[in-house]
Amino acid sequence: MTTKVSRQVSGHVVLGTLGVLCVFPIYWLYATSLRAPGDIGSLSPLPWPLSLDNYADAWRTIDLTGMLVNSAVVAVCTAAGQLLVGLFAAYAFTVWRFPGQRLLYLLFVGSWLVPFQVTMLPNYVLLSRLGLLNTIAGVIVPTLCSALGVLLLRQHLAGFPRELLEAAAMDGRSSWATLWTVVVPALRPVLAALGILLVINAWNEYFWPALVLRDNAMVQLGIRSFMGTEGNDWGPLMATAGLACLPVFALYLVLQRHIVNAFVRSGLK
Amino acid sequence: MFRAGSSGTVQIRPVSAIQVEKLTQRFGAVAAVDDVWLDIADGEFMVLLGPSGCGKSTLLRMIAGLLPPTEGRVLIDGVDVTHAPPQGRDLAMVFQSYALYPHLSVARNIGFPLRARDMPKRAIEAKVADVAAALDLAALLDRRPRELSGGQRQRVALGRALVRDPGAFLMDEPLSNLDAKLRAGTRAELSALHDRLGATFVYVTHDQIEAMTMATRIALLNNGRLEQVGTPEQVYDEPASTFVAEFLGTPPMNLLDVTLRSGVATAPGVTVRLDLPDRDLILGVRPEHLQLTTGDEAMLRGHVTRVENLGSEEVAICAVGAATVRVRARRPIGPRAGDTVALRADRFHLHLFHPETGRRLVPLTHQEISCVS
Repeated sequence: MTTKVSRQVSGHVVLGTLGVLCVFPIYWLYATSLRAPGDIGSLSPLPWPLSLDNYADAWRTIDLTGMLVNSAVVAVCTAAGQLLVGLFAAYAFTVWRFPGQRLLYLLFVGSWLVPFQVTMLPNYVLLSRLGLLNTIAGVIVPTLCSALGVLLLRQHLAGFPRELLEAAAMDGRSSWATLWTVVVPALRPVLAALGILLVINAWNEYFWPALVLRDNAMVQLGIRSFMGTEGNDWGPLMATAGLACLPVFALYLVLQRHIVNAFVRSGLK
Repeated sequence: MFRAGSSGTVQIRPVSAIQVEKLTQRFGAVAAVDDVWLDIADGEFMVLLGPSGCGKSTLLRMIAGLLPPTEGRVLIDGVDVTHAPPQGRDLAMVFQSYALYPHLSVARNIGFPLRARDMPKRAIEAKVADVAAALDLAALLDRRPRELSGGQRQRVALGRALVRDPGAFLMDEPLSNLDAKLRAGTRAELSALHDRLGATFVYVTHDQIEAMTMATRIALLNNGRLEQVGTPEQVYDEPASTFVAEFLGTPPMNLLDVTLRSGVATAPGVTVRLDLPDRDLILGVRPEHLQLTTGDEAMLRGHVTRVENLGSEEVAICAVGAATVRVRARRPIGPRAGDTVALRADRFHLHLFHPETGRRLVPLTHQEISCVS
């Protein structure tokens, strides 16, 4: 009995410690952003007196509103595109039998395993030739096809009752109509959960936008405006980083259950 | 429960005849359906019967257009529809799992095929109301499938098929998910529905009771091949093979390997006079056709190993030589475990089968069979 209790206690201590380790950097980020400009280097765990000067400074220095809007556009369009491409590909892979199907699917999955650094340069060159460098479209278009989205949706569709698709065919629906009138409505919770994951993923992207956009048009890139050769302006930098994190945290707080569901359903837990 | 047609609300337009010619479906080296020829007449209730994996559902799916055949043709009203998609065949199907759209209400499930045809909203509502009234679903129209019982789901699936006025109904084991009591009731209702609509039904089942009670004709399949097609009486009374003889009937037909020499078929415990040329045979007799006898007319002699009580009847399981023979009769059957029994059957209740192919041999006349004392 005592062993069981002590095991439970030690388990909770480990979990608590890990939790604190995860949360502490985020706390420190907001704590620093809320310190008065003169206290930025302070190691005091509590930021006191509280000050919003860093936020005001960040707002004055960079076009935060425009950057947040651009980031939102990129995140939503990327996620929507990936969801749509994933849905079409997964539907085709699940519903139809065609020559080379297995090979094509393996290629899709294989593309997930190719490091970003390998595809980065060819994509960059292509964007340059298409004249899409330094545009929001240039950030979105190359990321529209997500192997992860295809993989996860195919997994869900593989478990979709085949008789429902056949019933729709018997009831007079074409494959295209079946997708929109039967498959999508029935998969709505899955699509919503996956959509949220893809939005968060796209929102957190830094490297690719940094490569395509020369001006800091997205909030994730706006952060670097406060980094210079003569040193970093930590206060506004932390304030901007804190603001960049807020939409994701808000999304998580509101849709916590769906996000956990997305992981559980996708088998990625 | 089903009142379709009785109030004149649900009308079925002229029904379809279905012909299947040389239909074959191979999955790699395995022939799931092998060279099947079948004529299903207008208004017929054809039951495709057979054990699991015999190819009956595959055959139905090929008729429906859900599975392209490897070989052969499907004709509906004489028109070759082998390569037509399911939408182009004017057939409705009721699936084993009912395949109700989980995100739609009962009303929208029933109206789904009509919306696919771009029918006006008012007309759809009227038609759905008609069908729902005929199937006692009027009070459930706003419910989702998950809020319905098995029997209600089955009626919704049927309603979705009925609402289209199709040329023929295809049903893939629609009663298999219902409990025994509901199944018995629904069986009678489906038969009544068929009688009222006069529509063509093609019904897949592995349940011989469903087949015997509902079918106008039964097509019995085994390993992808048609064993026999006939009325329920024909397949029961004159089984074309040992497979059919064993598949139909509870308990199944007793089959005994016998050797016919000089007009007497013998095996350990078996002695039957048959006026036929010498040969090896399989002798078949149904359990309910065997009678206990004390006289010289005994065909089988053995002892009872066990008696099973079925309620109104009993089944005596007897050891006859190395074979097991079952006798079914009203309770009490008489002998108990350990008793010696002598059994006889009327001559016209004996069946003869080829020992290698298992096919039925020529019908016997009364004169050709007799008993020896």
